Amino acid sequence: MQGRRAPVPTAITIAALLFLFVPLAIVVLFSFNSTGSLTFPFAGFSTRWYHQIIESVAFRDAVVNSAFVGAVVALSTLVLGTLAAYGLTRASTRLRTPIAVLLFLPLTLPGLFLGLSLLVLFSRVEVNLSLGTVMIAHMVYVLPYYLLIAVAALQRLDPALEEAGADLGANAWLVFRRVTLPQVWPVLLAAALLAFALSFDEFIITFFVIGPDSTLPLFIFSTLRRTVDPSVNAISSLLLVITLALFAIAFVLTLRGSRTSGLSIETEPIGSAAR
Amino acid sequence: MASLAEATTRTEAAERRRVRPLIATLPAVAWLLAFFATPLVIFAVYSLLTNELYAVGTPFTLDAYRDALTSTLNRTLARNSLEVGLSTAAVTVMAGLPIAYWLRFVARRSRIAVLFLIAASMFASYLVRIYAWRTVLGSRGLVNSALDRAGLIDQPLGFLLYSRFAVIVALVHIFLPYVVLVLYAGMGPLGEGLLEAAQDLGAKSSLLWRRVIIPIMAAPAFSAFVFVFILSAADYVTPQFLGGKDGVTLGVQIQQNFVGVGNWPLASATSFLMLLAFVAVFAVGSFILRRLKLNDIRLSS
Repeated sequence: MQGRRAPVPTAITIAALLFLFVPLAIVVLFSFNSTGSLTFPFAGFSTRWYHQIIESVAFRDAVVNSAFVGAVVALSTLVLGTLAAYGLTRASTRLRTPIAVLLFLPLTLPGLFLGLSLLVLFSRVEVNLSLGTVMIAHMVYVLPYYLLIAVAALQRLDPALEEAGADLGANAWLVFRRVTLPQVWPVLLAAALLAFALSFDEFIITFFVIGPDSTLPLFIFSTLRRTVDPSVNAISSLLLVITLALFAIAFVLTLRGSRTSGLSIETEPIGSAAR
Repeated sequence: MASLAEATTRTEAAERRRVRPLIATLPAVAWLLAFFATPLVIFAVYSLLTNELYAVGTPFTLDAYRDALTSTLNRTLARNSLEVGLSTAAVTVMAGLPIAYWLRFVARRSRIAVLFLIAASMFASYLVRIYAWRTVLGSRGLVNSALDRAGLIDQPLGFLLYSRFAVIVALVHIFLPYVVLVLYAGMGPLGEGLLEAAQDLGAKSSLLWRRVIIPIMAAPAFSAFVFVFILSAADYVTPQFLGGKDGVTLGVQIQQNFVGVGNWPLASATSFLMLLAFVAVFAVGSFILRRLKLNDIRLSS
């Protein structure tokens, strides 16, 4: 059955890949253009835009802020999310459903509403907007995505191993640390990296809760609004490289993780294991 | 008697084992109650208060809802949002189905590579993608210069950029990867044996899609459709950069009312009316699925 002939789906898949990547490739291409022109034809190769932005203090500050926020968000989500995923997959009581609904609900709320609600909350309790409020907001936004991955990974494990550990007298924490964690840590690490990437690139919510500081997406936003500044291409390319590198590492970790837990995504689609 | 007591402790222990792990969810639950549920409730209360320019005050009133519902501008923008959301959702799901099918049944060695590329593009920066489409669709961008060089046009096509079309193209670009992954996961129950059986019974490719693939994919496709519809209809950044005049949406207006005009009750009332519309779309869709008995097709693979 694998490899049936299907010209139409094949053509659509190829077209979709071109659609997804050609526009991004053009941005990267123009980041090396020697003139400021953003139109074809391409004038010549140069790295001047990269030199220009790396010298910009505002750009460097924004990158540092984004990395700081992303790291705090990823680490806290790793702790909070892993605990929650463990609870959701190991408990079997009716209370489980409403808790799962609450934990996944932020996925369906547009960032505009989440951003405005948090802004209202912060103004109500008179908290000054800062990178701290950005972190709070990002943790709400990132948590369900982390849970999607972590819950699937924990569900896939053979319960017999944990039961054996418990029968041998280990308490819940010991079983988690010595039996569960060794099987899933690559996937959890991958999910934390994706949490970092999501936070690093978040704009829609951040816009409302940031205050006087700047992050990389906010820096790009203000550059895009100001003028047609050719250095945007170089900034964009750097951001693309960072997020895609994070994703590539996470992808490799997930492949490794599914191999150590005895499952291969080469034969099983992602969702089927969750049933 | 001893054995009865023993049995009771054993069921109690089992009960504890079933419930106790939920304690681990408490930090996350507390976090979302504090920073997700509470702010939404406060924001909802704002829609019932009186506007005091970047502040709110009593008395409680329904004025904001009346203003939001009677504004003709809002009605136009709501129609724009609806069109943008529906078109984006329809295009992504219709393109996503054959791609998911390809990944599940056609791809051989390239499956992991293509899955990687599609999932990777999901993480390509949101703002960069909007910017990329501004470059591609611009009057001297890739599309226009290619058409010009091919001799097909004399004047650059102006409608490509700063239009609803540009907004939809960029949003499709942003949401297509999500949809493909959701649909690919949804193809799980679609076993290989099932397709073979249908073909052995003489089903042609069109019949196979109509009677086997689409019914099984209806529920995941609907989830993907609603997800994309909600998130794209409420997007406020893409229309600002690519929308021009006819691409402005209700999301932009809400953001302007809040940040620019400072009418917080109006922004809040418009937001909750929009959420209500989303719930209505979801309810109508679920009702239709249930009517067609497509809501819960399960197969053991």
